[in-house]
Amino acid sequence: MSPQRGADAERPAAGLGRRGFLHGLVGAGVAAPLAAAAAVAPAAATPASAPSSSTSSPPGTPASTPSADAPAYPFHGAHQAGILTPAQRNGTFVAFDLTASSRAELTELMKTITERARFLTAGGLPAEVGIAAPPPDSGVLGPRVPSDGLTVTVSLGASVFDDRYGLAGLKPHRLRTMEDFPNDALDRAACDGDVLLQLCAHHPDTITHALRDIAKATRGGMQVRWRKDGFVSPPRPSGTPRNLMGFKDGTSSPALAEPSAPDRLVWTHAGGPEPRWVEGGSYHVVRVIRMLVEFWDRVSLHEQENMIGRRRDSGAPLTGTREHDDPRYETDPTGDVIQMDAHIRLANNRSPQQAEQQMLRRSYNYDSGVDTNGNLDNGLVFACFNQDLERQFVTVQKRLIDEPLADYISPTGGGYFFALPGVRHQADWFASGLLA
Amino acid sequence: MRRAAQYGMLAGGIAAVVTLGVVGTVTVRQGSEARVAHPDAYPVTAGISGCGRGWSDPAAGTQTFDVTNTSIAGMEVYLESVASGDVYLDLEALGAGSTTRGRAIIPAGRYRFVCLPADEDPIAGPTVTVTGVRRVADATPGIPPVTENDLIPASKQYGAWIESRLPVLQADVDALADDVASGDLGKAKADWLTGHLEYESLGAAYGAFGDADEAINGMPASGRTALDDPGLTGFHKLEALLWSGAPAAEIAPFADRLSADVAGLRANFPNVRIDPLDIGLRAHEILENALQFELTGAADAGSHTNLATVDANLNGSAEALAPLRGILKPRYPQLAKTEASIAAAQQLVESYRAADGTWTPLQSLTTAQREALDARIDATVELLAPVAAICDVRRAAS
Repeated sequence: MSPQRGADAERPAAGLGRRGFLHGLVGAGVAAPLAAAAAVAPAAATPASAPSSSTSSPPGTPASTPSADAPAYPFHGAHQAGILTPAQRNGTFVAFDLTASSRAELTELMKTITERARFLTAGGLPAEVGIAAPPPDSGVLGPRVPSDGLTVTVSLGASVFDDRYGLAGLKPHRLRTMEDFPNDALDRAACDGDVLLQLCAHHPDTITHALRDIAKATRGGMQVRWRKDGFVSPPRPSGTPRNLMGFKDGTSSPALAEPSAPDRLVWTHAGGPEPRWVEGGSYHVVRVIRMLVEFWDRVSLHEQENMIGRRRDSGAPLTGTREHDDPRYETDPTGDVIQMDAHIRLANNRSPQQAEQQMLRRSYNYDSGVDTNGNLDNGLVFACFNQDLERQFVTVQKRLIDEPLADYISPTGGGYFFALPGVRHQADWFASGLLA
Repeated sequence: MRRAAQYGMLAGGIAAVVTLGVVGTVTVRQGSEARVAHPDAYPVTAGISGCGRGWSDPAAGTQTFDVTNTSIAGMEVYLESVASGDVYLDLEALGAGSTTRGRAIIPAGRYRFVCLPADEDPIAGPTVTVTGVRRVADATPGIPPVTENDLIPASKQYGAWIESRLPVLQADVDALADDVASGDLGKAKADWLTGHLEYESLGAAYGAFGDADEAINGMPASGRTALDDPGLTGFHKLEALLWSGAPAAEIAPFADRLSADVAGLRANFPNVRIDPLDIGLRAHEILENALQFELTGAADAGSHTNLATVDANLNGSAEALAPLRGILKPRYPQLAKTEASIAAAQQLVESYRAADGTWTPLQSLTTAQREALDARIDATVELLAPVAAICDVRRAAS
């Protein structure tokens, strides 16, 4: 899980910023908030079968160059794959609106998604239908479907818990429609949705194949609302992968380094205001953040590094030498080196109070063509998982309002979702605890 | 295996097959779905002499075959149930000397290959007994092949229905031409819609009516609109003119031309006939057209009546499906669900028709409404897709 990339981008929020003047210094924190990466190790890897390629990577490192027959990530478990799983190189985020007309149809839909995800993530031979139907598989991956490190992560939006399916009383306590933060420019047609599928795999054709398969099997029950494809860059030249601003993104992941961290930072637990069924799920935030890369590329390196708080080349905090050096804010209390509003410092000042605000970041770069003026549409699909949406993502995001970086980024889409608890065994299915 | 090697191959190929067969049956693989004692793939011959050799001692479950055409001409190969004649696998267009892979997942029973050389009678291979369980997971459905003889009555019935509607269409477009001639463009719009919906129910999707369709219901050329495409005639040209406020005198030649083109279609239709090869395709292609051109609004030249067109297309799908019911009933377990889905789609679409007969413009629907509609039609067309596969014309096995 290379959680990092996004960092900067993600948090930018608020906007206005004025660019200019931030002189400051240093820091690099963008990524810091989340730490997530580390987490990977414990959980993701858990299943013994985690694909080799990634498991051994240091936090923040994307799964690297897996071979076509990389082992499958286990589908069954207390938690879904695709959360602690080291970020595969390719990912897509697809939000759907439900068209199922009843709770029974919704249940059927969830069972169908489960069945397809179970097959696709394990791989194998598609069904044979003889002369009775067109081939059930698109053939995009050849006659035998490889697992290729595919994970299918299913999350629900707040709108599922309206009056359509009688689920209003079962909404995860913190789940709500994503608000417009001050620096946002959200297109609501590219936001929200009832169901989010996060599909990740080692190769893009595997994702295309999986999405086609699931969409074909679920026609009638849900319709695509928006979609964003992303990729994780390889380390350049080493360490944490870079985002499209050229900075290593997701370096910091202290909290998740210990095995118990996901239980404190990622997994939502039943009890208190939370309904029982949420145990083992996670608040899933997706923010599609455009980077105004032409503008960014006209900014001096000094100013770029001050806004982020890290060296662009090495990823080191401005107070340090190497990427993973601690920023040691205590030695820079007035922001002479890493300015007080540098992205990494705002996101996580390394205080004990902010430790519980760290989230598991799992972002993807995107490169989606051009705008009407011919500017490139580059950016970050910032994605993160939180035990508590409010305590973690929202709190950090609010601190980033009007950070200097906000002038160079523009959040345009995404939403708040709740990643379902895992499908525990062969007879279980997505959202069984909610719908059964 | 090109031609030069053909004769040599015949003998050599068989020898190889035998060898492989021996090896194959004793191979035990560790793969998760491989079964003990099942070879990776049975090498099977398909020839004038020696049809279906190589499949031995099979156990219920997945059968993988590498079928080699050992004859000197094209071949088709079925795997069928001896008792029922139901077909589980159809390898078509197997060239001389070529080998292709096929799979079927079958329970215990008696089966055989049937080799169907081009222009020669089918040759049945030896009966092979598959041992083991009588129910297997994800079994391949076996159905009787549909032959041209099976389809002729259906295509005649469908053709007769279309023919019976053509006079109605003629009256509609003649009325439209009269309206324009008399300068009553309000009535012309109403009659345009009546005529267009009649035509859209006839299943003219994907060139079914050939050039006549292009003249009657063509779309503007790439880069053109229905209004400014100088080569466009027919309903969409008239739609663009009527709804953009063109004067009657400018519209009249196109209205007359449409009447004439419909008359031409009527005159030629008895010769056009519905090809039995095509009838199975109609049912889903009509709605594929609706998805691509109507539910996207692409075909709208100003009348904003895409939803009305979709309704007509659903009528057309039901009409194309009806003559196939007898064929589909024993072959398609989802037939009833398919018909119900068409009906439900139609009910949903017609909820956008007001009491006075006017239709809500597609563009006025909310996102949720469009999603519900798209989902309904998408689900219907998925259900219709197997109809074409089932009704693909095949040769009788005997």
